[in-house]
Amino acid sequence: VPRRRAHRSWTEAHVRRAFWRAGFGATPREARHWARRGKAATIRWLLNGGPSPVPRSKAPRVDGHRLDPENEWGHDVLWWLDRMIRSRHPLQEKLTLFWHDHFATSEQDTPLMLAQNRTFRRHALGRFPALLAAVTRDPAMLLFLSLANSDKEAPNENYARELMELFTLGHGYSERDIRQAARALTGFRADWHDDGSVKTSYDREWHDAGVKRVLGKVGHLDWRDVLDLCVRHPAHAPFMVGKLWDFFVGSPLPRSTRARLVRAYRGSGLRIKPVVGAILAHPALYRNLDAPTMVKSPVVYVAGSLRTAGQGIDRDSWTWMLQAMGQYPFQPPSVAGWDWGAAWLSSNSMRVRFDFANYMLDTPRVGVKDGSTPNKLSPRQAVARARSAVGDPWTSASTDRHLLRLAQRVLAQDFDERGDMCQRVLRHLLISGPDAQVH
Amino acid sequence: MNAHRACDDFHGSMRPLTRRQVLGLGVGGGLALYLSRAMPIQRVFEAAAADAASNPNGPVLVSVFLPGGVDLLDTLVPLHDYGRYADLRPNLKVQGVPLAGTSLGLHPSLSRGAGGGVKGLYERGKIGFLPGIDYSNPDLSHFHSRHFWETGLITDRSAPGWLGRWLDRAGGRDNPLQGVSMGYGLSPVMRSGHAPVAAVASPGDAGFWIRGAWGDAFDDAMAAYARMGRVHGGGGALAASREAARLAKLVADRLTPYAEHDGVDPLASSVAYPDDSDFGERLRYLAAMISKPLGIRVADVEADADFDTHDNQKELTTLLGEVSECLSAFQADLEARGLSNRVLTFVWSEFGRRPEENDTGTDHGAGGLAWVQGDRALGGVHSDYPDLNRLDRDDNLQVTVDFRRVYSSLLEQHLGTEAGGVIPRAGSFGRVQLVR
Repeated sequence: VPRRRAHRSWTEAHVRRAFWRAGFGATPREARHWARRGKAATIRWLLNGGPSPVPRSKAPRVDGHRLDPENEWGHDVLWWLDRMIRSRHPLQEKLTLFWHDHFATSEQDTPLMLAQNRTFRRHALGRFPALLAAVTRDPAMLLFLSLANSDKEAPNENYARELMELFTLGHGYSERDIRQAARALTGFRADWHDDGSVKTSYDREWHDAGVKRVLGKVGHLDWRDVLDLCVRHPAHAPFMVGKLWDFFVGSPLPRSTRARLVRAYRGSGLRIKPVVGAILAHPALYRNLDAPTMVKSPVVYVAGSLRTAGQGIDRDSWTWMLQAMGQYPFQPPSVAGWDWGAAWLSSNSMRVRFDFANYMLDTPRVGVKDGSTPNKLSPRQAVARARSAVGDPWTSASTDRHLLRLAQRVLAQDFDERGDMCQRVLRHLLISGPDAQVH
Repeated sequence: MNAHRACDDFHGSMRPLTRRQVLGLGVGGGLALYLSRAMPIQRVFEAAAADAASNPNGPVLVSVFLPGGVDLLDTLVPLHDYGRYADLRPNLKVQGVPLAGTSLGLHPSLSRGAGGGVKGLYERGKIGFLPGIDYSNPDLSHFHSRHFWETGLITDRSAPGWLGRWLDRAGGRDNPLQGVSMGYGLSPVMRSGHAPVAAVASPGDAGFWIRGAWGDAFDDAMAAYARMGRVHGGGGALAASREAARLAKLVADRLTPYAEHDGVDPLASSVAYPDDSDFGERLRYLAAMISKPLGIRVADVEADADFDTHDNQKELTTLLGEVSECLSAFQADLEARGLSNRVLTFVWSEFGRRPEENDTGTDHGAGGLAWVQGDRALGGVHSDYPDLNRLDRDDNLQVTVDFRRVYSSLLEQHLGTEAGGVIPRAGSFGRVQLVR
């Protein structure tokens, strides 16, 4: 009896929830595999990656060619989507997306953005102070928030303000702290070469070496001191764990849980992995398995639809669809990143998601060739066949009824293509319908 | 935003948005949803037609957002105090083009576009400027300040936008196009408590299709999709997703008649907009949509330009040039379509910029610039220009007009609705005449 109870407490539905939140969905095979292995093993794998029955989709090709992320328009996005689909460590990619949103940088040259993306990935689950230091001197960020060439003669407040407001604290500082920190952060410079490339460096001559007062500390502070003061500030840990919780769980963070996460974060020397591990193990993440509580962002929706269907990158349509849905990677709308949650689902972006299913129906994995479906399938069999083709997604009971009724109506018609067409409309609605937009 | 908690507009002044707040739980930051009561699909057509028919000449308010924080000094130049201005802006200062009847000058780029651009519009009495607009004790965060402007509330709570709240009070229950954001997503300005609203990126291709399905199978599938959108229950995210499906279908059904057909574009304009400007294209779509019986009452458009000119303020030349070209084309389009007596446009940004430059740009400041534009706009300069010799304790400009005074005035003078139902404590902000 205890064995059975243990089994029920970690089901395929739990695995699917964990994989959508921590990554980009689970294939039916992954759901079966990790439901058998149990909660602890699943979370261990999500945190660390490693061998597993990940989808064996094909390597990415567009028009028969390999991707060229640095030079071809949109290939940077496809390159990242491919990683989300085929990675043996999906959480690392999910957190790379989290950091891209947290340290949102835009409008910089593709090689710089790709380098920044590698920085996010390298530090995704590591020590936050190391990530923050790497981001502060990251060329794309230096240019985006005007820290490059902010010198002692005319300190620029742009980075100092967002460092405190968006990157580390949220509140608990003053306008004076921003202005003084801007002085301490001076010294970075950017020099352009004739070929258009840029070299960033730190130049002591440009640094304001005078005395400043930042967050209560007085001294000849420089950029490392400012970062250190920010991450040691009492507001930092609650701010950071709250943001991670919102990203993975979405429901309000109980005080006691916040306190526990803050302890885990501080106790580990400001590491991200223990915090995310505690969040992934928290029961709140698994509530309402029959009525998902978070909206899939466009990137999660597109990468996840492809991944769960076992479909690799074989075209570039996904790039402009992401643009039309409102989340184009490497181009967040502002330094505050994207507006997550229900705001993803305007009437317009819902229409684009509907259109996305048409492109899925054009892929080898999801598409239905003429004459490929037996007409003798029962409506139930037709629905099962469609579900299996798109990776057996979660659907509500009402959706199941609507799909079955749709299958009955289409299969009752008297024309030769009814089996194929029934598959197309069912697969389309499994991808485009309201249930598919949430996880 | 702690400084504002004590005077949080949200407390006590809003009627409870129970359903919205419940739905907001569990979807991240408690974001606003735009939901309405369920309604039979056929009523939408009737409702939109009825809205339009009952008030075919009803006023339309268009909100145009210039993101990033537009600098006042270089845009509307204080020629009356040019020496002080030049001291503050040794590198950035521009030669303002004098505006007749004032001591101010406009950035030269604002003369670009049809009929002399923004400057031409001013000279024809169709623009009323509001220099020094902001709110007391300004917050210099983009995101805080933008939120205040979007909601018309000084609050750090999630709340519907001020235009969405107006629709909750004065709008219908059946027509999502009564409030439309031109773009992929719904602007926070337009988020409502319960009134249906829409986002439209491209009205010419709003329709639905399914690859390889047609005839009865397609119709049955669309009926199933619509039914899924009308399912009640589920948590916040699921309810939001169902509602989005329902609204997307309604909007598609309404806009499908205006899709390009046989090379004829029913939404074509006789006026030339700037090439390669998405901002201009959105304004063009909007003018065309207002001309059709879609029942549009409020709309919002965001410019593509980024006015956050920390280290590149010379780019104002390009940024303001595009704004001037697009807005003057929009006005010319409205005039050509015979709509200009109905549509009033309000142009705003989340704050102003620091008077003293930082060499190549300016940092966040207070006391920005907004204007009203259109045939119904009262031309002129409707607020005091901030005194460059009397900066506040943070070396920022003094605020001379509260944006909520302007919102209250627009609600009453243009939309004909008592402002207190939308802007809490509207009476305390006074009014400024903005409409002729």
